[in-house]
Amino acid sequence: MNAPVDAALLQPQPCAEHLRARPLLGTLVEIAAAGATPEQVQAGIECAFQAVEMVHALMSYHAADSDVSHINRCAFERPVPVHEHTWRVLAAAREMAEASGGLFDISIAPTLTQLGFLPRHADFPRISGRGDWRHVALLPDNRVRLMRRLRIDLSGIAKGYAVDLAIKALMDSGISAGRVNAGGDLRLFGDATQTLHVRHPGAPTSIVPLVELRAGAAATSAGYYTQRRHRGRMITPLIHPHTRAACGVERSVTVLAQDCMTADALTKVVHAEPAQAGAVLSRFNARALMLEHDPASGGCRIFDSGASDSGQARHV
Amino acid sequence: MSNLDRWLMIPALILPAAASAPAFAVQYLSVEQAQKALFPGADQFEARPVALSAAQRSAIESASGVRVRTAEVNAWQAKQGGKAAGWFMLDEVYGKHEFITYAVAIGLDGAVKGVEILDYRETHGGEVQNPKWRAQFTGKKAGDTLKLDEDIKNISGATLSCKHLTDGVKRLLATYEAVLK
Repeated sequence: MNAPVDAALLQPQPCAEHLRARPLLGTLVEIAAAGATPEQVQAGIECAFQAVEMVHALMSYHAADSDVSHINRCAFERPVPVHEHTWRVLAAAREMAEASGGLFDISIAPTLTQLGFLPRHADFPRISGRGDWRHVALLPDNRVRLMRRLRIDLSGIAKGYAVDLAIKALMDSGISAGRVNAGGDLRLFGDATQTLHVRHPGAPTSIVPLVELRAGAAATSAGYYTQRRHRGRMITPLIHPHTRAACGVERSVTVLAQDCMTADALTKVVHAEPAQAGAVLSRFNARALMLEHDPASGGCRIFDSGASDSGQARHV
Repeated sequence: MSNLDRWLMIPALILPAAASAPAFAVQYLSVEQAQKALFPGADQFEARPVALSAAQRSAIESASGVRVRTAEVNAWQAKQGGKAAGWFMLDEVYGKHEFITYAVAIGLDGAVKGVEILDYRETHGGEVQNPKWRAQFTGKKAGDTLKLDEDIKNISGATLSCKHLTDGVKRLLATYEAVLK
């Protein structure tokens, strides 16, 4: 490869750009790519969707034959072998749980089922109610064992991982600039600096510019599209792992990080305990922006954890 | 700890509501592009629209568990060298915030071969629920869709459920079984 300047002069400008979307991972997954020829771009997008489809098939809580369902059904009785990708996400989940003192915890699935956010599976064994992330044992040869009767859900962190894999697929296909957005888990690469927008937590069809990014990942968690009424109040699927209570709907959290899996997991930590999230964010070299509806002005207040040395992000 | 202080104490700035952009729309594929994407080998798409009878509608509803809102079925038979290659079905679904046009490809084995989104629109408030608002997009051709603000494409927002789409695909599969198979 020549020096960047020479390369830019010698290479033709990308002349093909495509944008596609499919329903996957329980949301809309949008993939944009630019490259030299339409055929190359279409092929790259196809590879990227295949990566997302694979993660969907392996890590869906809903599908009866996913790795996650095999774990939930059998892993208390015996070790369950899982795909390498599932293993990597489980290992990342464990690292995040350790770093956050359990503020990120994949064992909150039964609470999500109770609140109506996840389906009931008649063939999943009963839970004991006393287990947490510490009781998900990762054994050699990609095998998993549950040391207590519990149930796991990987949906958010798996969505982030799917975005990371899709970005890698685009890069491997020779795409010069790309973007993957899985319902708010977003990652992009390319030469141009782009504005990242987020939804207004008080009026989600309004969009506010937040930061500028050239490369990197962002994930947003908020309750505006997923909230539901439970015993007379509006609740979200954002569960505090220690109290098992659902967070309120008024706040939106966006995390900027090196990869989308980390960004998605960190949004859960910030939602659970904003005041304690600072140390965890800096450990992962991430930055969080919290938006709250400001009833007085109709706009939103932004809280910034700052301290990310990503350098590419700054306020618009 | 200074990091934490800043985090807790400073609303870094207040974004006025005026900074909000209006709701937006994206066109991903035209009907022709979606047909090509879902059946790359096909050389012909024969329009085979169906008007469902009341009995067919209720049969589809009970088979899929999903309400059938319209009697029209927009179906094309994909052909390759004169031989049937499968079915291409065009449909629309809407939820509280979004209105989506999508296509489903059904292979010769009767299984879903793929799903592609053609258009995605969202609105402020209740327009999506208004049949007149939706009607302005029905039957439109490639190229005359709403223009999306070029700058607004990187939206990190909380997950929008695609339950309506999942239900729509179920309904189309049942429709295929009832009237196209």
